[in-house]
Amino acid sequence: MKTVRSMVLVSNDPLSQARGAQAVYQRLEQEIAARGLTDEISLMTVDDVGRHDTVPMVIVYPEAVIYGPVKPDDVAMLVEEHLYKGRIASGLLAPARELTGRIAWLSARKGTLPAEQRIVLERAGLIDPESIEDYIIHDGYVALGKVLTQMKPTDVIAELEQSGLQGRGGAGFPTGLKWKFVSKAPGDRKYVICNADESEPGTFKDRLVLEGDPHTILEAMTIAAYAVGASEGYIYVRGEYVLAQQRLKKAIEQARALNLLGENIFGSAFSFDIHVHAGAGAYICGEETALIESIEGKRGEPRSRPPYPTTHGLWGKPTLVNNVETLANITAIIRNGAAWFRKFGTPKSPGTKVYTILGNVNVTGLIEVPMGITLREVIAIYGKGMKNGSSLSLAQTGGSSGSIIPASLQDTPMDFESFGKAGVSLGSGALLICDDTTCVVDLAKVLLNFFRNESCGKCTPCRIGTERAYQILANICEGTGTRNDLAQLTMLADSLTALSNCGLGQTAATPIRDMFKHFSGEVDAHIQLKVCPAGVCSMSGRRL
Amino acid sequence: MITEILKGMFITFREIFKPPVTIQYPEVKRPVRQRFRGRHELRRYADGLERCIGCALCAAACPADAIYVEASENTDEQRYSPGERYAKTYEINMLRCIFCGYCEDACPTDAIVLTDAYELSAFSRKDLIYTKDMLIVPPPAGKPGTPQKVEEGAYNRSILPEGLVSEP
Amino acid sequence: MADLINVYINEVLVSVPKGTVIVDAAKKLGVNIPVFCYHPKLKPVGMCRMCLVEVGRRKIDRATGQPLLDANNQPEIAWGLKLETGCTTPIEEGMQVRTQNEVVKKAQKDVLEFLLTSHPLDCPVCDKGGECPLQNLTLQFGPGTTRFDYNDKQHLDKHYPLGDIIFLDKERCIQCARCIRFQDEVADDRVLGFYERGRTMQIDTLSEPGFDSKFSGNTTDICPVGALTTRDFRFRARPWEMTHVPSICTHCAVGCNLTLGTRRSARDRQWEILRVMPRQNEDVNEIWICDKGRFGHHFTRSQARLTTPLVRKNGQLAEATWDEAIKLVAERLNVVYGHVVGFIGDRVSNEDAYLFGKLFREGVKTTRIANRPHVAGADLVQKYGVGSGTNLGALGKGTVVLIVAGDVEETAPVYMLRLRAAAQRGAKLIVANARETKMDRYAANSLRYKVGTETQLVYGLLNAVNQGSGIRDQVAAYTPAKVAEITGVPEAEITAAGKLIAEAKDLIVVFGDEQPYDIMVNGQYTDAGRALPQACANLVVATGHAGKANNGLLSLWPHNNTQGVFDMLAANGAQWTPADGLKALYIVGSDPIGEGQTLPKSEFTIVQELFLTETAKQADVVLPALSFAERDGTFTNAERRVQRYYKAIAPLGQARADWEIIRMVGEQLGLKWTHYLTSEGVMAEIAATVPQYSGTEYAALAQVTEAWPPVGSNDLYFGGTAYDNRGGVGVQIKSGVELDGQSEMNWIEPPVPSAESTLHVRQLNRHGTLIDQSAVYQPRLIDAPIEPAQVLKGA
Repeated sequence: MKTVRSMVLVSNDPLSQARGAQAVYQRLEQEIAARGLTDEISLMTVDDVGRHDTVPMVIVYPEAVIYGPVKPDDVAMLVEEHLYKGRIASGLLAPARELTGRIAWLSARKGTLPAEQRIVLERAGLIDPESIEDYIIHDGYVALGKVLTQMKPTDVIAELEQSGLQGRGGAGFPTGLKWKFVSKAPGDRKYVICNADESEPGTFKDRLVLEGDPHTILEAMTIAAYAVGASEGYIYVRGEYVLAQQRLKKAIEQARALNLLGENIFGSAFSFDIHVHAGAGAYICGEETALIESIEGKRGEPRSRPPYPTTHGLWGKPTLVNNVETLANITAIIRNGAAWFRKFGTPKSPGTKVYTILGNVNVTGLIEVPMGITLREVIAIYGKGMKNGSSLSLAQTGGSSGSIIPASLQDTPMDFESFGKAGVSLGSGALLICDDTTCVVDLAKVLLNFFRNESCGKCTPCRIGTERAYQILANICEGTGTRNDLAQLTMLADSLTALSNCGLGQTAATPIRDMFKHFSGEVDAHIQLKVCPAGVCSMSGRRL
Repeated sequence: MITEILKGMFITFREIFKPPVTIQYPEVKRPVRQRFRGRHELRRYADGLERCIGCALCAAACPADAIYVEASENTDEQRYSPGERYAKTYEINMLRCIFCGYCEDACPTDAIVLTDAYELSAFSRKDLIYTKDMLIVPPPAGKPGTPQKVEEGAYNRSILPEGLVSEP
Repeated sequence: MADLINVYINEVLVSVPKGTVIVDAAKKLGVNIPVFCYHPKLKPVGMCRMCLVEVGRRKIDRATGQPLLDANNQPEIAWGLKLETGCTTPIEEGMQVRTQNEVVKKAQKDVLEFLLTSHPLDCPVCDKGGECPLQNLTLQFGPGTTRFDYNDKQHLDKHYPLGDIIFLDKERCIQCARCIRFQDEVADDRVLGFYERGRTMQIDTLSEPGFDSKFSGNTTDICPVGALTTRDFRFRARPWEMTHVPSICTHCAVGCNLTLGTRRSARDRQWEILRVMPRQNEDVNEIWICDKGRFGHHFTRSQARLTTPLVRKNGQLAEATWDEAIKLVAERLNVVYGHVVGFIGDRVSNEDAYLFGKLFREGVKTTRIANRPHVAGADLVQKYGVGSGTNLGALGKGTVVLIVAGDVEETAPVYMLRLRAAAQRGAKLIVANARETKMDRYAANSLRYKVGTETQLVYGLLNAVNQGSGIRDQVAAYTPAKVAEITGVPEAEITAAGKLIAEAKDLIVVFGDEQPYDIMVNGQYTDAGRALPQACANLVVATGHAGKANNGLLSLWPHNNTQGVFDMLAANGAQWTPADGLKALYIVGSDPIGEGQTLPKSEFTIVQELFLTETAKQADVVLPALSFAERDGTFTNAERRVQRYYKAIAPLGQARADWEIIRMVGEQLGLKWTHYLTSEGVMAEIAATVPQYSGTEYAALAQVTEAWPPVGSNDLYFGGTAYDNRGGVGVQIKSGVELDGQSEMNWIEPPVPSAESTLHVRQLNRHGTLIDQSAVYQPRLIDAPIEPAQVLKGA
C-alpha cells in the first residue's frame, strides 16, 4: 500500500486546459520524477475548482496551498521549494482572496455548530479517490466486512430503520422502510440502483462524492444488495460527469481485483456486481422510474405508479433506487451504529445534509451541516453574509423542483419535518439565495422554461401545461399579463399537480404556487402597474 | 235593382283606376326578399381558390339528401382550395332540394351560398342535377381559376384568414 | 374464473377477476371511463390522464389484518388524496371508485382542454371526423370553451408519410402512443417511436423503408384521432356516408372478419368499396387484419374484370349472351359423357364447390375433379384438425404449439399475432423450419433442419415422446440421435422439444408446405408430398391430442377456402385420377397456366373467372363470375370455422355468382335444380347432407356472441374505431374424430431430399392476379420469390 506525503492537484477545467494545464501537469510529473519523489507525492488532476481568475492552479495538500496561475516554467521552482524543501513558494501563491468557488468545502469548518460531523463528505477531498488503498486506510470496507461477517440482512435493515435515515433525493422517504419493502418483495432477482443522475440546476453535491470518494458508494450499494438480496447493481451517472464515471469504473475494477465485488465477496456466499450506466442529459431520468426505463434502453419516461420499483423495477424485478447522498451515509451508520447517527440533526430528521450555496452571498460552495440548521445561520456562517450587505429577499431550496421561500421563513429549521409543515420542499439541497435584485416572476419563468424543456412529453398535463405556464409567465415578464392570466396560471398549477404522472409535472407547479403565496404583491405590480420591482423583467409590452 | 247593379259596379269602377297588381313575369321581375333562398352557388376566395374543402357537411345536413360530394387531395402543383382537401365532385339535385338553407348553415368555410335566382326549370331530370361546374362562381377579375400551381407550403390551412370572417 | 374480486364503482357492486384494471371493470358494468391511450389489447401506460378517477381503499387494521368497520358495520374507506389513473390501477377487494363526481369531471375537462390546445379544429376535413374518439369524448366530457388563446396552437406538418401507405398528421396527434405500442406489443415490428420530448414530441418511423410492417393499417383504427390515415381511404368519404357490410377476407386461410365500407358513387352510379376494416371476432382475428387484407380489395372494381360471357368464334373470344354460352357449355358437357375433368380453385365459396361437385356427380356423371392448387393432407385435417371450440386466443400455459415447415407470418399473418400472444401467455412454441422465420423469436425451441427433412424431424419428436402404437416399429428407427444426424438438429434439442410435447396438456400441430417436394407429379399425387401431413397426423393421434378443443392439426393452407372446397368435393365423392384424351375441361376460379403449369389436353375448355387470365385466354368459353363482395356465401377457414359473408356492392356487368352459373349449367343439363334459388338454399342442403357441416345454416352462422373488449357502436374510443359485428362469428365444425371417434395411424416413408430440391416458399406480398389490382399496395409487392440468400437447397 502506498502512503504519500503530499497530494498535488492540477486544475483541469476547459479554461485551465486552454491556459496550459496539460503542460504544467507534464512538467510536474517530470520534475517530481527528477527529484525522486514519485513514491512520496501523488499527482492528479481535478475538474473545475470554481475559480477562474488564476488558472491553471496547482493545489498542494495537506497544507491546502493554492498556487496560480502556474506556468510550466514555474514548475521547477515550485517543486524545488514546496515539495522538496517544504517551503511555500510564496511568489506563486494565488492572490489572497476568500475562495469563492466550489472548492469552499475544502477548508475545514468543523466545530462551528454543535454536533457537527462530516458523514457524507467524510473522505471526499481527503483521500486519493483513485486509490482503493487510501480508502481502506480511512476505514473503507470496514462496514461491508462487518455486515457480511456479523450481520444478517434483517439486522442491517433494522439498524437502518433505527438510524432514521431519510432519502436525500428530495422526498425524504425513510430509507430503512424502502429497503424493507424491497427485501420483502418476492423475486429471485433483485437490483440495486444508485441514482447519480444529479441534474437539478445548481446542485453538485453528488458529484463531489462520486469524484472524491467513489468507493463509499460501491460499499454502500454492496451492503444494500446484501440487505435486500440483490445480485446486480447499476450506478446511473449523469452523462456530463465524465470524471465521476472514470473514477467509478476504476473503483469498480479495483474492488473486483480485491474481491470486494464479484463472486463470493469476502469468501461469503454473497455475490454482487456493479455496472456504471451513463445518462444522456435528460433531467427526467433523475426520476426513479424514468431512470429504470433508461437503463432498460427505452425512452426515459416515468412509469405510472403503482406498481412501485420496490416490487416492479428494473426488468420488472424488485429494485432499490437510492440517491448518492443517501448511500454515502450508509457506511458511517453501519460502522458507528444508529445511535451515533441520531446524535446529529433533529430527532425526526437525523443526520446531516449537504447543501450547495449559490446566489448573492459572499461565499458560495458546498457545505455539510446537521439537519435543522436555519437559512439565516447558513447565510451568516457559511455564506459569510449577503453580498454587498444587501438583505435576503427570497431563497430557492432544492433546485428547480424545490420551493421559493420568502425571507420570513429564514428561521425555519431546515429538516424534512419542519419544512414539510411550512409547505416547503427540501429537495436536492441547492440553496439559491437571492437579494432584492432578483424578480420572483422572472425566477418562476426561468424555472418553467427549464421544466417545459425537460418534460418528457409522456403525459398530457405536463407536456402542454408547462409550455402554457411558461408562456403566461413570459407575458407577465413582458408587461402584457392580465388578471385573467393569473387565474389561468392558478388553474394550471392546480391541474399540473393533480393530473401529472410523475414528480416533474407535479412540482412544476411549485414555483407558481409559491410565487402567489408569498409574493403576490410583486406579481400584482407586474400586472397592475406594469412595473418590475426588481427591475429585472424587460416589460417590453410584447405578447407571445 | 238598378241600384244594386250600380252598387256592384261601383267596386269595379273604383278598382279600374287603381294601378294593377299583376306583374308581367317574365318581362318584369319582382325583387326578392332579403332572405330569399334560391339557387346555390359555390364561392371563391379573392385569389381565385375555391372555398369549398369537400367536407360534405352540407350533404350531411341536407334533409332531402340532395347533395353529393366526393373529395380528393390537393397538391401544390394542382391546387383547388386551401388545405389538403377539395371537392372533386359536387352535385346538387335541384329536384330534391327544398331550399331550406341548412347547407349554408353547415358550411364551415362559407363556400355554399343560396342566391336570389329562382328560375330553375329544365327539360329533363338529368339537367336538374347541378354539377360543380355549374355551381361554382367564376374567379374574380384578373385572377386564375382552379387548379392553380402555387408556392409550396403557402396554403397548408383549410381556411384562409379572410374566410374566418363571415361575409354579410 | 377463479379469484373474483368485489369492487364498487359509483356505489354499484361488480365482481371481476383479480388483476383487472379499473377502466375494464367499469366497462363491464357499463360505466364509461373515458380513455385515449388505454386499449384493452395493449399494456396500460397512463399517458393521457383522461381516465383519472377517485379511488378509495378499505382501511386495514394493522394488528389483525382485517378491514376496519364504521358505525354501520361497513368497511371504512380511505379516499386517495390524489386521483388515480383507472387504466393502470388494478382493482382490490372492497375498493370504491367514483367516476362521475365533480373532482373527476374537472380532471376530465382539464385534460381535454389541454389536449385541445394543441389539436387543430379541422374536423370538417379530417377522415376520422364522425367516428372520432376525441370528438365524442369532447362532447361528452369536455369543456364548452377553452381558457387558452387560439394562437397557442402549434402548426406542424399535416402530410407526413410514415411509409408508402400510412400518413401522419403531426398536428392532430395527441401522443397517446397507441400506434407505437401496437407495433411493439402486438405486431412485434418495432418501426415506430417518439422523437424529441415535451411539447415537441412527435411520432416517426424508425425503419427503412418507412413503417415496414405487415400490420400497419391497424394503427389507423386504434388511433383515437385522425392523425394516422391510409393512402387508400384518405379523403375518400365521410364515415356516415358509407354502408358498412360484414364480410370475410379472401387473401389467406385465416379468414379474418371484415367490415366493408361501401358507397354508391354519383358519378358512375357504381357501388364501390371505399375501405376495409377489421370486424371483431375474438375466435379468429380479434380486432386486427393484415395490410394485404385491408388494401387488397381493389380487384372487386377493377377495369380488367370480365363483365360478359365470352365464346370462341373463329379463333377469337367474342362477347356472347348467357343463353348462348350456357347452352354451348351444356351441349359439350353432355356429348362427351364421361370424358370430362373439372378443376376448381380454392378461393370459391362452399356453395360453389358443393354445386360443382354435384354437377359432376349428377350431371356429368364423373368424379374426376381436382382442387387447385393441389394440396396434401386436407383429408387429414378434416379428420384430425383442431377440435371444435378451439380458440388460438385462449391458449396459454400447458399448451404446446408445434409449427413445422411453415412461415406463419407470410402465409397466415394474423395467426402470427395470435400465436405470439399465446406464447406470451405461457404457451410453448416449437418452431421447426429449414430457414429462420419471425416465429423463431417466440419459440421455446427453435429447430433448424436441413431442407427436406421435416418429416424425419417430426418422427424424431414422436420417437422422443416414445409413443405411436400403430406405427411403433417404423418410428422406433427414428431415434433422436439418428434424426439429429439426418436433419442436422442437435439431439438435445430434439429431446427437449419431445419432452415439451410429452408434457403438453394441449397440443396443436401447425404445418405448412414450405418443403421441396411436389405434391403432384405427372397428374398423380405423390407420397413425398403427403408424408409431412401424415407424420403430423400420426403425431397428434399417437400423443392423444386429436378430436379435442385446442388440440389437433392446423394447416397453413394457401387460400381462403382450401379446406371448404376439399370438404365439398369429398362430400360429392370427387376423386382425382389422371386424365387423358379429354373431351372437355371445366375450370372454376383457377389459373394453372398463369402459375406456370400445363393443362391436360382437351377438345373444349370452359373457364369461369373474374379476370381474363392466361388460362381463360386459352378457353373456348369464358364465364364471368362475381367477386366475394358482390355476392353472399360461406368460407371454411384453416381452423375449419365456417363463416358467412354478405353482398356489399352491386354486381359488375352481367357477371354472376359461381354457384348460380353452375346451377344454370345443371339446369341446362336437365337436372331439376330449380330449388337452388339462393346460396342460402345451397348451404341449407350442405348442412343437411354433409355430416361435418351440420349446424352451419346461414341463420346459425349469423349468430353473434358478446365479446370482450366491446368495439363498435358507442365504443369507438375504447377498443379503437370499428363497427360492431353484425354478421356473425361463424361456426367451427367438428373434426372427423369428434364425429366417429375413430383414429388410425398410417406410415408413409419419409422422402429423402436430393441436392436439387429447393424449398417452396410462399410469401404474403408476392405479385398475384388479385393483389396486382390494388395500386395503393404496389410499393409493398415483391417480385423475387424469396431473397437469394435465403433460397435453400437440399443436402
